[in-house]
Amino acid sequence: MVDISFLVISVLTVVCAIASLELRSLIYGSIALMGSLLGIAFFFLLLDAPFVAMFQVAVYVGSIAVLILFTVMLVKRELIFTKIEDPKRKYIGVGLMLILIVGLGSVIMDSGLKSISTHSAPIDFNEIGEDFLTYYWPALVIMALILSSSITGALVLARRENIENEQHTN
Amino acid sequence: MSIIAPRFRLGYFIKSLLDNVFWIIILLTLIGIPAIQVVLFFIDLPVIEGELLTPFLALTWLADPSRTLPIIKALMQTDFFKIAVFPGFGFAALLAAGTIFIERKLLAKLQLRVGPFYCGKLEGILQLMGDGLKLISKEIIIPAKADKPIFWAAPLLFVGAAAAFISLIPVSPGWVIADLDVGLLAFFAIIGFFPIITVLASWSANSKFPFIGGIRALHQMVSFEIPLILSLLGIVILTGTLNLSEIVESQSNFPWIIFMPIGAIVFFIAMLAELERIPFDLPEAESEIVAGWLTEFSGMMYGLVQLGSYLKLYAFAAIFVVLFLGGWNGPMIMPQFPQEIITEGIELGPISVTIPGLPLFTPEMINGTFWFTIKTIGVIFFILIPRGVFPRIRIDLLLHIGWYKLIGLAFVNIFISLSLLYSGVLGPGGMM
Repeated sequence: MVDISFLVISVLTVVCAIASLELRSLIYGSIALMGSLLGIAFFFLLLDAPFVAMFQVAVYVGSIAVLILFTVMLVKRELIFTKIEDPKRKYIGVGLMLILIVGLGSVIMDSGLKSISTHSAPIDFNEIGEDFLTYYWPALVIMALILSSSITGALVLARRENIENEQHTN
Repeated sequence: MSIIAPRFRLGYFIKSLLDNVFWIIILLTLIGIPAIQVVLFFIDLPVIEGELLTPFLALTWLADPSRTLPIIKALMQTDFFKIAVFPGFGFAALLAAGTIFIERKLLAKLQLRVGPFYCGKLEGILQLMGDGLKLISKEIIIPAKADKPIFWAAPLLFVGAAAAFISLIPVSPGWVIADLDVGLLAFFAIIGFFPIITVLASWSANSKFPFIGGIRALHQMVSFEIPLILSLLGIVILTGTLNLSEIVESQSNFPWIIFMPIGAIVFFIAMLAELERIPFDLPEAESEIVAGWLTEFSGMMYGLVQLGSYLKLYAFAAIFVVLFLGGWNGPMIMPQFPQEIITEGIELGPISVTIPGLPLFTPEMINGTFWFTIKTIGVIFFILIPRGVFPRIRIDLLLHIGWYKLIGLAFVNIFISLSLLYSGVLGPGGMM
């Protein structure tokens, strides 16, 4: 069952990833991107990490895909992009991809990842949280500072001065 | 006098009825029963009273009154029943349909109108059925330059996302379709799909008004998701779990709204915005942009979107009940099932009948469902009432509320829950 779903999901993910690059229509491309991100979320589910899977869906599909869709819809495609059809680029891209696959694959094969037993119990996300709060707390604090400063920055950038006053005077 | 059937004769009418009955019996015996038998070979049948229910015996046992109830009980434990009927789609659709009717009558009474009145003699109670039949029988018109695949898929996706939402809700102890350890995160993940579906539907219609509505919906939903999520963090901090059933169990003494009223208010306002209800119904503002992102939908496609939005309304109300109002917890008002009916059977004069497997539901389950439903209906009322009272607000004020006030209040709520936790009032070592 897991094998079949793994095969189906990996085929879907790869096809969606290729489609998101190759489709002429930008909207369909972003839908395909959503599909491949969802496929990755399913991989996390298969790997007994539902916590990560849900965050993958909530953050990548729920926010980033929306951002991409929004940008695509606000932009007129013909004004920005000019078609550059160059077969050489395609071959170079395919070659680069092959080199990347072989390099990453050899790195992963040489690491200890393949010796992980598949029957171990799934890692409890509560333990991950405890680790974050005890051993890795400096990283957590730094991340919290970065995030809160970015939220503050966003609020400051989005601020419009005197909007109430203008309407009252009008 | 009758114009519809000028040559009406009772004999012909009875003959046509009998013909229909004859053909129904013939078709059922020749096709229906074999088809059921074939299906029975392919599904897992339960073990009842120590005996495996085989496909050969299934129909015989169903006709045997002493074995009918155990079979029904076994059926109610299956996933199919849970998804299709009780905590799932049937229950939710029933509540959603009731919501539509009550909304129309309630708004009419609030505004000194009559509301649906003629259909079905008694206060227009069949209006809903009439509307449904009209939507089903209407032609589906698709704009010529619409993007057809996305346009067709959008209503289905909308209902699908709303139904996925419903599967997370624990109605009573043990009666939940998907009891996930990360239930609250799944809830956040599912509400992220609605803006995508909305904006895709509005874009694919290739028309001005839907697109304006869709962009408004996107703004509104994305900006109100943040206070919606932040307002729930206080509960997660205090209960230490993301499982919705465990969150309900943690409220057996008191609901969280007592300690986190600010969080509840923020969640309620953000919920109104996510549901596109008045005063936040800018995406469907019918006096400005026809019907917003629903403009080009017709027939049953519109019906599906409406069904999805009311399922979503039920689901949000139920999530509010689960998180803030204590879910199924409530005083035990159901009496215990009388023991002598189980042991000695029902006595009617000289006859006594023993029916095995009689307490079809435990009293706890009925009690929990009762309290859950009462609370959910109350929350739905509170969602409906603003529609009769408030005007629609402008989009800049809406975004201002979302980004400034609600996010700030949500952080205040988080600090309140943290102070409760660290002062030892709640959480480990405190009252819980």
